[in-house]
Amino acid sequence: MASGGGQSFLDKFAEVSAKIGNQVHLRSLRDGFATIMPIYILAGIAVLINNVVFPLFLTDDALAAAQYWGNAVTLGTLSFAAILLCGVIGYCLANNKRFGNAIACLVVSICSMVIMFPQTLTTAVANLTYAVSSGDSAVASQTLDASVLGATADTISYTGDVTGMISTTNTGANGLFCAIIIGLVATTVFIAFSNNKHLQINLGEGIPPAVGKSFSVMLPMLITLSIFAVFSALLQGLFGTNLPAIISTAVSAPLMGLMNAGPWAVIVIYTVANLLFCLGIHQSTISGVLAEPILTMVIVENMALYAAGEPIPADHYMNMQIINSFALIGGSGCTLMLLLDTFIFSKHKASRDIAKLSILPGIFNINEPVIYGYPIVYNIPLMIPFVIVPDIFIAATYGLTCLGWISPCVVQAPWTTPPVLSALLSTGMDWRAAVWQVIEIGIGMAIYLPFMKVSEKAQQHQLELEQQANEAAGHAQAA
Amino acid sequence: MKKIMLVCNAGMSTSLLVQKMQAEAKNRGLDVTIEARPMAEAMENLDSADILLLGPQIGYAKGDFQKATDKPVEVIAMVDYGRMNAPKILDAALAEMN
Repeated sequence: MASGGGQSFLDKFAEVSAKIGNQVHLRSLRDGFATIMPIYILAGIAVLINNVVFPLFLTDDALAAAQYWGNAVTLGTLSFAAILLCGVIGYCLANNKRFGNAIACLVVSICSMVIMFPQTLTTAVANLTYAVSSGDSAVASQTLDASVLGATADTISYTGDVTGMISTTNTGANGLFCAIIIGLVATTVFIAFSNNKHLQINLGEGIPPAVGKSFSVMLPMLITLSIFAVFSALLQGLFGTNLPAIISTAVSAPLMGLMNAGPWAVIVIYTVANLLFCLGIHQSTISGVLAEPILTMVIVENMALYAAGEPIPADHYMNMQIINSFALIGGSGCTLMLLLDTFIFSKHKASRDIAKLSILPGIFNINEPVIYGYPIVYNIPLMIPFVIVPDIFIAATYGLTCLGWISPCVVQAPWTTPPVLSALLSTGMDWRAAVWQVIEIGIGMAIYLPFMKVSEKAQQHQLELEQQANEAAGHAQAA
Repeated sequence: MKKIMLVCNAGMSTSLLVQKMQAEAKNRGLDVTIEARPMAEAMENLDSADILLLGPQIGYAKGDFQKATDKPVEVIAMVDYGRMNAPKILDAALAEMN
C-alpha cells in the first residue's frame, strides 16, 4: 500500500528487527519467561487471596494461620522463580540450538547458578539464643532478648553469619538477571564441550542408549561445573564477593533505575515494538527482550512486598502490569477501542465484519484478527493510533500512580484478563484503577475515530482505483 | 491421517483459526488433525506434524523451522490469517502436502 522509499525503509526495519528478535539467545530468554509465566500468575492469585480475601473475615492469629497458605505458595513460586528460570532458559536454549540433550542443560544451568551463590550469609536473626556446653553437660544457655541487653524490642537487631543456607534474595526476583546470564552462559559452554568428540565417553556397542547418553555428558558437565566453581572461589577469595551480588548491583539495579527514571525508556521500547507489529511482526520480538524481563522483575518484587504488607516504593511504579492491564486493552495497540468505534460509527461492511469476528478474542486481549484482517499492517492511517495510544496510556497510568490517584500495580494478572477486571486484579482491588481503565477506553475511542475514518476513505479510494485499473488492463489483479 | 500444526507466538490466536479449520475439515469429511502450538513448544514436537503453518507474526522464524525439519513449512498470508479464512488456508495446506 505504501510505496517507494518509505516501504523499503519499513521493510528493512522489519527485517533487522526480526533478525535481532530471532537471535537464538534472545529467543530462548523469551521462551524461558513464557514457560514460567504460569507460576507468576498462580503467585498473583495466592497473594490476592492472602491480602484481599482472607482479611475480609479473619483477624490476628487466625489470619496469620490462613496466610501461611499463601506464603507457602509465594515461597515456592516468587521466591524460587530465578532457579526455575535459569533451568528453563538452559532447556529452551538447548532446544533452540537443536541440541539433543536439553534436560542435561537444565541440570547444568541450575547447578551452575547455585554454585555461584555465597556459602556464608550475613543475615538478620529475629532473636538470639546461645548455649555453652562442656563435655556432656550444658554450662549455660540463654535467649538474649532485648531486656537482657538493656534495650527495647524496637531498637535492637541481631545479625549473624550463617552457613548451609540459600537466600531467597538470590532465588527470587532479585536473582532473575543472574538466572538469565548463567542459564545462557552455562548452557553455551556445556554444549560447546559436549560437541567436542574427545570429551565423549563411548561405552561401545551393547550398552543401553540411556546409559550411554548419561555417560556421554559426564565429562562436559564436570568441566562446566568445575569452571563455574573455580570462578566462584576466585570471586570469594580475591574480592570477597559473589556473582549474584555483582550482577544485582552492576546490571539489575541500573536497568531497573533506567526503566523507572520516568516512563520514557518504556515508551521508546513499546513505540518501536508496536511499530514492528504494524509491519506484521509480533511486538514481543522487541519488547519481550528489552522490556519484559526487567518490568517482570519489578512486578514480582511488588508482589513480594505486597504479600509482606509493605508499601511499594516509587521506583517500582513502572512495571509489567502498567503495560498488560493499562496499555494492552484488547491486545497490542489497544485495538478494542477501534472495534468499538467500528461498531458505533462505521458503515463499511468489511470493517464491521472483521470487528464482529474480532470482538470476542479482543475482550481477552487477543487481536491478531484485527491486526491482519482489519488490517492495521501496512495501513498507515491506523498505524499512527496503534502506536501512540499505548504510549499515552503508559505515560498517563504511570503519572496517575505517581500522583497517588490509583494504587501501584502489585499483582501480575494474566495478560488475557478482560478490561476492568484486569485493573482490579493488578492493583489489589483498587476501584479507581477500574474507573481509569473505563476512561482509557473513552480516550482511545476518541483518538482512533478520525484515523478510522481516514483509513476507510483510503480503502474506498484504493478499491475504486483497483477497479479502474482492472477495467483498463482487462484482467483481474490480486488484492 | 494427515497432521497440520499451526504455530504462533503464544498459541492463542492460531487456536482460534484451528477451531474454524477443524470445523471446515469435518464438513468436508477430511481425515486430518489440526492443532495449534506456541513457537517454543512447536520446536520440540516437529515430528508430530506433516506440515507446519506459521502465523504471519512469526513469519521470520520460517528459516529456523525449515532448518529443523524436512516437512513443508509455510507462512499463512496476512489477509487470510486476519479474516480467519479457514477454507482457503486448509486448501493451501492440503495442496502442499500432496
